[in-house]
Amino acid sequence: MTAVKPAETQSSQHDIYIEISKNSVTLQVSVPQLSHMLVRRLQFLKTLSTCSIEASNIHTQHYDVIVVGGGHAGSEAVAAASRIGAKTLLITQKIQTIGALSCNPSLGGVGKGHLVREIDALDGVMGRAGDWAGIHFSILNRSKGPAVWGLRAQLDRQRYKDFMQSELLSTPLVTILEGSVQDLLLTEADPGKPGKHKVYGICLANGGGEIHSSSVVLTTGTFLSGALFMGQNTTPGGRMGDPPSCAGLSHNLKNVLGLKIGRLRTGTPPRIVKDSIDFSLTSVCLPDSSPTPFSFINKHTHCTPKEQLPCFLTYTTPGVEKVVKESSHLNSHIQQDIKGPRYCPSIESKVLRFPGRQHQVWLEPEGLTSSLMYPQGLSMTMPLEMQLRLIREIPGLQHAKIQTPGYGVQYDFVCPTQLFPWLQLKNTQGLFLAGQINGTTGYEEAAAQGLWAGVNAGRTSLSMSPLSLSRTQSYIGVLIDDLVCHGVTEPYRMFTSRAEFRTSLRPDNADLRLTIRGFEEIGCVSEQRYNKALLVQASLKQALSTLQSIHLSAARWRDKLGGVTISKTKSSILNGVEVLQYKDVTFQMLASSFQELFGPHLEISERLKVEALYHPHCEKQRREMEKMQTEESLSLPNDIDYLALPISLSQEVREILDRVRPSTLGAAARLPGITPAAIVHLFNYVHRNKHRNHM
Amino acid sequence: MHFISCCLRRSTVSIAVSRSLLVKRLFCSGWPGDDTIYSLSSGQGKCGVAVVRVSGPASALAVRRLTRSLPAPRTASLRSISHPQSKELLDRGLVLWFPGPASFTGEDSAEFHIHGGPAVISGVLQALGSLPGLRPAEAGEFTRRAFYAGKLDLTEVEGLSDLIHAETEAQRRQALRQMAGDLGRIYQDWTDQLKRCLAHVEAFIDFSEDELIEDGVLNDVDRAVQQLQTDMENHLSDERRGERLRSGVHVVIAGSTNAGKSSLLNLLTQRPAAIVSPTAGTTRDVLEVPLDIGGYPVLLSDTAGLRDTSDSVEQEGVRRARQRVEQADLSLVVVDLTQLPSERRHVPVFLRGHLKNILERSSQQQQHILILNESDLVSAEQQRSIQTSLQELSGAPSACFLSCHSRDGLEELLTLLHNTLKTLCGDPLIGSPTLTQTRHRTHLQKSIEALQQYHEYRDVDLALAAEGLRLGLLSLGRITGRVSPEEILDVIFRDFCIGK
Repeated sequence: MTAVKPAETQSSQHDIYIEISKNSVTLQVSVPQLSHMLVRRLQFLKTLSTCSIEASNIHTQHYDVIVVGGGHAGSEAVAAASRIGAKTLLITQKIQTIGALSCNPSLGGVGKGHLVREIDALDGVMGRAGDWAGIHFSILNRSKGPAVWGLRAQLDRQRYKDFMQSELLSTPLVTILEGSVQDLLLTEADPGKPGKHKVYGICLANGGGEIHSSSVVLTTGTFLSGALFMGQNTTPGGRMGDPPSCAGLSHNLKNVLGLKIGRLRTGTPPRIVKDSIDFSLTSVCLPDSSPTPFSFINKHTHCTPKEQLPCFLTYTTPGVEKVVKESSHLNSHIQQDIKGPRYCPSIESKVLRFPGRQHQVWLEPEGLTSSLMYPQGLSMTMPLEMQLRLIREIPGLQHAKIQTPGYGVQYDFVCPTQLFPWLQLKNTQGLFLAGQINGTTGYEEAAAQGLWAGVNAGRTSLSMSPLSLSRTQSYIGVLIDDLVCHGVTEPYRMFTSRAEFRTSLRPDNADLRLTIRGFEEIGCVSEQRYNKALLVQASLKQALSTLQSIHLSAARWRDKLGGVTISKTKSSILNGVEVLQYKDVTFQMLASSFQELFGPHLEISERLKVEALYHPHCEKQRREMEKMQTEESLSLPNDIDYLALPISLSQEVREILDRVRPSTLGAAARLPGITPAAIVHLFNYVHRNKHRNHM
Repeated sequence: MHFISCCLRRSTVSIAVSRSLLVKRLFCSGWPGDDTIYSLSSGQGKCGVAVVRVSGPASALAVRRLTRSLPAPRTASLRSISHPQSKELLDRGLVLWFPGPASFTGEDSAEFHIHGGPAVISGVLQALGSLPGLRPAEAGEFTRRAFYAGKLDLTEVEGLSDLIHAETEAQRRQALRQMAGDLGRIYQDWTDQLKRCLAHVEAFIDFSEDELIEDGVLNDVDRAVQQLQTDMENHLSDERRGERLRSGVHVVIAGSTNAGKSSLLNLLTQRPAAIVSPTAGTTRDVLEVPLDIGGYPVLLSDTAGLRDTSDSVEQEGVRRARQRVEQADLSLVVVDLTQLPSERRHVPVFLRGHLKNILERSSQQQQHILILNESDLVSAEQQRSIQTSLQELSGAPSACFLSCHSRDGLEELLTLLHNTLKTLCGDPLIGSPTLTQTRHRTHLQKSIEALQQYHEYRDVDLALAAEGLRLGLLSLGRITGRVSPEEILDVIFRDFCIGK
């Protein structure tokens, strides 16, 4: 395999090669030409001492963080923990599936694109991987306002995996091991800290032995008691083609830790042979002519505008509905009473819930050179022969061939209300969960949690305090807050409508919201990226206050800007920000009239336009955000016995608080059923405790 | 964005720019500051003195606009309090001004000590609500602000939070009470419609690019929002409501012609406000007299006797009388005892028919008192017999015997009236309907303003347009209960087939 250069290449001082085979690791000095399937190149930069790892002593090594699972959550968790400075071990069933896109070959979208931007702002990998692997970039919602623009890209599956693997394998402090985890190593909790148990490592399956660590991040996706469904067949597993994970972990979580577990289902469509599709019967959807990168540090995407591939659109027909109805008795997945997602349902449930309608089917490329197309909208679990019959009812697919059938997955998830906002289990010190195991769906949602769990696993293992992200600051904060406060009843996906401060939490300003804090407080952002964000911030600040300082009459503005429409009476005075809010006014126009003042800021002209547009609204939201932040800054101890607390609370309120155990007063205030009076009492309680602690 | 805005607020950022380009530096205005909140902080209902408290940056403005000047800090000053727009005198009371930080909440705040009648209180609250930047406080908000400013010591907290609890409970019960009625249905209906509008816009934002959501969705929302605004505006400009807010409980005297309605009015007002004559049909229009009965403000109205008539003027009077009865909070139905059927067994049937005729369009919430007039013209024995017949009448209103001539029974009537008014205005903890309506008005007004933002931004920026709907729903939700983002998603998934 050829190693792909990540966007930010770090020079290597020493090359060490680790040969990894199932459950055994041998270290040897090797030359690049010798690399075969299981040999990966590791670059050790700062930690020369780790060069002395012996294959046999991986078990005697103590890691700061062990991440179990190499999907989107696991990859970001590993990368984030290492950025914090933690010595991190990734255990995955197969190195070659690290960064695999198990379902749709695309990244981002409305809401999800916001998450990718935020992951990137915190120096995560996903955004850069998307820029590397993207083969069709488009911004959704272009006409609906920059706060809800959805950066989206079709991806080349292989390129995405290559980038992710290369990135992780070249990340300092990271070791990767192929294997399966059988058990968590648990002991009694440290007194004085919340929790009943404490994790101190994992035990590998098949006699692979123990590996010790301060923190463990579980990102097992759909593999926790996963079962695959097609027609009436059920096989254990989390993804087709991969072995099921060990029952031991499920047992640990359920029986040893006593966690509340739920079950969810999802599915994926069949993959269709490209040459068997008659594209002339579909409509073509072209990408943006100038691709917008996900990452703040990339000016261009890897794919050139011309190399981009189109997508195709076709529709379901009444014939599709007929096949669904005929096959429903052969379809055990949809007959089961397990919650599937409402927004990404199988074609079966779409047809059954909204009969007599046409449904869209997008045909998406799987890669630049891939011979397959991905039919988005056709997730299905019926028997293979019925799948073939169904797709052949669709225009353009009359002669389609299926390369891999669609199938359903049912899997366990841990009810996320059992987590702190830093994604550690409340009852187990050092144990973090991220991704689908917490009841979410989607690559971006998983990666966002992975990043945050990795940050906190790293921080706690290095004796730093765990951190939370506020709803007022980020979509990641909204995501985690929703999960830990309200739990899930169906796979959770991000929508922009979930963010109450949507006009402030925009894709364009994720760096200002997160990168600076990411360096100064969190410690997961490189200095280089931090400095870049500071420069942007300073430039924006300066340009905006200059704009604020220019006051001209509407007539004068019209004059200056070449007769542009400004719907104000001639004599009314407007400042530069107010003028920039007009639809037809661009920053470039202002810059050509005020060359001296605005010339230096041309590079950020689009961002300035967006800032100006949202400026008055963000100001209005500021108070509300500050109020929420104040309440969020008041933490409620996790060990409060709400049922016995000697303050006046109704039994109902006590039970809600006892069940959810909110981490902050802010989280408590948002719980349904909590009265203002209860908040006052809690506030008082927290205050009193603070005073006591100070004395 | 956050820090940028903060930096911008400071006008001190100096930039090297040629002076000729800078016309003026007008930094001071244009930033919407914190909310200023107000509420009745003494118990509600009947009390001698009521205290209305204001806190927030616009407190000084509020005092100036209602009393024309700012008194010396922390000194009680007697002032006339009038409505800032209509200039109508609302009350004379004590006004106190506490500049922050030396105040209960740590912010600029003020107190109005006014007379305790619901009419005065709601008048002052409404006047405050009409000022920019002021809104009714949420339950416990003063205390929360005081907490955050570090103004309360810990023993104070316990007592105050109990008060807040009571207040919240009362508000909840009050809300439930209100929600049961027609008004509640209207508000709930608006909330549902707005929820649907927002859900459809949100669906259009979150899904339209990938899914099959027709552009027509937004046009439907445009129309629905427009309709909602119109409905809400009409509701607010409803004259009767404004009238009742200013004038307290509506009590109407109704009955057939010449039953002694006007005599009763004169008796209650103790002056000949209505022309009394033995000719049936003397009162042709509605006559209104504001009254104070046991401390409750009452607008007492005398109406034309209800009968079929060919006189067109009288017909109009009858129509207005019926309308008035329909709108009243309390009807005093006057019956001439001498007109009752002489056979005792016919009395219940007669009364039932009579009440049905007079109160045919009154709502269920309305209270009634049956006044059996001319008691001096019937014997005590007859009265007892009628009393017994009344008990046979199921669902009969409270009744009392009265002689407008001899004033016999007036004491009993006043006691009965007082008790009924007490129920209508609520016990001291439950806000009177008028006070709650003042809150509703403010929230409706804010909701209408927010919906305007939808139209303004509809074609510029859909996120900002949706923001308008969200704010509108938030304001309505303060009346009908919060609408969570999950509920919006529920509507989206119910109305659209979303799926890839």
